[in-house]
Amino acid sequence: MSAQTPTSPWRSKAPKPKKVKGVTGIASLNGKWGYLFTAPFFVMFLIFGLAPIVYSTYIAFFHWDPLGDQTFNGLENFTNLLQDDHFWNALRNTLNIWALSTFPQMAMSIGLAAVLRNKKLKFKTFWRTILLVPNITSVIAVAIVFGQLFGRDFGLINLFLSYLGMPHHIDFIEETIPGHIAIATMITWRWVGYNALIFLASMLAIPEDLYESASLDGASAWQQFIYVTLPQLKNTITFVLIVGTIGGLQVFAEPLTLGGTMDGGSTRQFSTLTLYLYEQAFINNKWGYAAAVGILITFIVLIVSGINFMITRRLASEEQ
Amino acid sequence: MAKMWTAPRVLAVAAVAALSVATVTPAKAADPVTITIWTFGDVIQRNFVQEYKLLHPEITLEIKKSDLDPLNGTNMVTACTAHNGPDIAAVEVSYSGYWRSYPSCFQDLRQMKTSSANANASSVVPASSNIAANLSATSIKKDYLPWRWAQGVGYNDSVIGLPTDVGGLEVAYRTDLFKKAGLPTDRAKVGKLWPTWDKFIAVGKQYLGKLSAKDKKAGKGFIDNSGTIYAAMLNQGTSKYYLNDGTDTGKLIYDKNPAVKKAWDTTVTALQAGIGTRIGQFSSDWNTGMSNGTFATILAPAWMMDYIKAQAPDTKGKWDIADMPGGGGNQGGTQLTIPAAAKHKQEAWDFMAWYLAPAQQLRMFKTYGLFPSTPSLYTDPSLVGFKDPFFNNAPVGKIYASGIVKLKPIFEGKLERAIDTAFGAGLSRVAAKKMTSAKSWAQVMADLKKVVSN
Repeated sequence: MSAQTPTSPWRSKAPKPKKVKGVTGIASLNGKWGYLFTAPFFVMFLIFGLAPIVYSTYIAFFHWDPLGDQTFNGLENFTNLLQDDHFWNALRNTLNIWALSTFPQMAMSIGLAAVLRNKKLKFKTFWRTILLVPNITSVIAVAIVFGQLFGRDFGLINLFLSYLGMPHHIDFIEETIPGHIAIATMITWRWVGYNALIFLASMLAIPEDLYESASLDGASAWQQFIYVTLPQLKNTITFVLIVGTIGGLQVFAEPLTLGGTMDGGSTRQFSTLTLYLYEQAFINNKWGYAAAVGILITFIVLIVSGINFMITRRLASEEQ
Repeated sequence: MAKMWTAPRVLAVAAVAALSVATVTPAKAADPVTITIWTFGDVIQRNFVQEYKLLHPEITLEIKKSDLDPLNGTNMVTACTAHNGPDIAAVEVSYSGYWRSYPSCFQDLRQMKTSSANANASSVVPASSNIAANLSATSIKKDYLPWRWAQGVGYNDSVIGLPTDVGGLEVAYRTDLFKKAGLPTDRAKVGKLWPTWDKFIAVGKQYLGKLSAKDKKAGKGFIDNSGTIYAAMLNQGTSKYYLNDGTDTGKLIYDKNPAVKKAWDTTVTALQAGIGTRIGQFSSDWNTGMSNGTFATILAPAWMMDYIKAQAPDTKGKWDIADMPGGGGNQGGTQLTIPAAAKHKQEAWDFMAWYLAPAQQLRMFKTYGLFPSTPSLYTDPSLVGFKDPFFNNAPVGKIYASGIVKLKPIFEGKLERAIDTAFGAGLSRVAAKKMTSAKSWAQVMADLKKVVSN
């Protein structure tokens, strides 16, 4: 194989050694044909990825009414944005919802994975499949169901809380922190199973002899989990955290559907960064301003990802 | 469309001439056409779609429903920018001010002429009326309420939309709950209880006083949502956020208009008196509350009657309709438009002219409670005499008609929807006791400054 330069069967007339015959076709994919097969992604990326990025970067420097005036205004959108308390409010809400959903979600996912890892568990495939069901349910359907659960007057959760002795009903839509908790619950419900499967895969890759020697040393199941499982999951935790951060900073459908308004509610308690972008573009028809919001979101994601990256590096160097 | 018709004809003539053979040309079967309609809610009623299929088997009406804001705020903007989109688009009245400022996005309906497609409609569907050929928007203008018509007139005077129903607004109330609270139940007497909004709030307080402690704790109230008083009051006036100063755009007066402040203050009084349940309309709690008797009154547009029937079928006969405080009111209403990029304008216009003609609107009122925008019907015995058993045999046609004729035209400007949203949010803050009225008003003003600036 190494002696033979891969050639395309359509071009080469040279006799081919029989040994290599089976792989020539595959090998030739590394050449020009490879570009053809990867082209769909790049074409799609150009149309739906790069072009909108370029376009929105361009219009971020304009006062851009989609049907009316489009005038250049330099950095005005950005300077206005930095003084816009609605924008900072949206950033606060986003980070708050992100924190409320990510950390409990991690703990639950790891816990679920630990349960699923149990060798005595029956119907393994069934449980693993069921974990993914919330993830493939439409967000709108989830929002309708959760909207009923969190209803102020007839919601199940308030009913439950009043049995527990809560003196008055909580308004999960109007009040800021309960509202964030409601949204975080929706997000957690959707993603906890998905992440549990990732943790499960990573747990199954932990060598069995680590546990064996731990139990020989007299470690309880809990100690095994703390001192064997968790340290081995470090990289997976970082991965899930980064992916969750990128998704969490773009949370959109949940606050929109649960709150039911595009301005994020009466005190803008549900207004997240992406919802604010949407409101500027499609309610106020300020496309240029919305594009500027988009660019700032990109920078925020970059900064947070950068922090994540540094944490990962530190964790990795500690391991060595 | 004209081209499509002439091309085969020219060909046929040429062929006949060239061959010099006399042939009998068979009657041309109409080409199948699909009219796409972007709409929301029940603007286009299914029964009428089926009826139109009987009239025109060759035409398929493809109804695509969205929610209001995505439809009028997002999809139509994109469609107009991309010169693309449906054959008919429904524009709700809260967006009419916006779209009137972009008339180039629409076909000028003055230039459309009905074909003879529906000239004999009643021979196929007896209940349907015939629509004469050669009708433009100019020729049917006289059929519609002037102020409803004006909501579909663009800044360059082109006609961009035909009015569908009129919202109308009256008070739907529960006779059983009124009786329990010691209030009169007869609709004439109930209407006399509240000639003004202040009286309405006073009756609400009286009702609250009769509620048991248990009911109070369960969150029961007099009106479903006191916040609805704001829009109801505002629509009874002559101006809202814009002053009609003769210009196309009008002049922004939301911060100075005493009518706005008065509606705000009265609503705040109602909120602070606690006469409402604070349930959001169209929420699941609202639907449940309607059957449970959580509230005794709703400020109900005519189209809401059908909604109440569907959500609370068990309450049949317990509801009645009384006059609004302040007399008359309006909420909602829609124009049907033909976007400039529509592909089947002729067929779309033929359908609209038929669908919104008085005879069809009358039938829509009887079946679905959509109140007609064609005043000739307001004296029609079949509308005036129409009684609804669900609402305790109230003469709903007569009640809504008498309220609607009292309304005055209100100029609605480009940012109507956004401004309304900001005031709504402001009142919600007061309702949730997050801010005082004064502080929340100041916040509305600050928020709106951002909206109206570039």
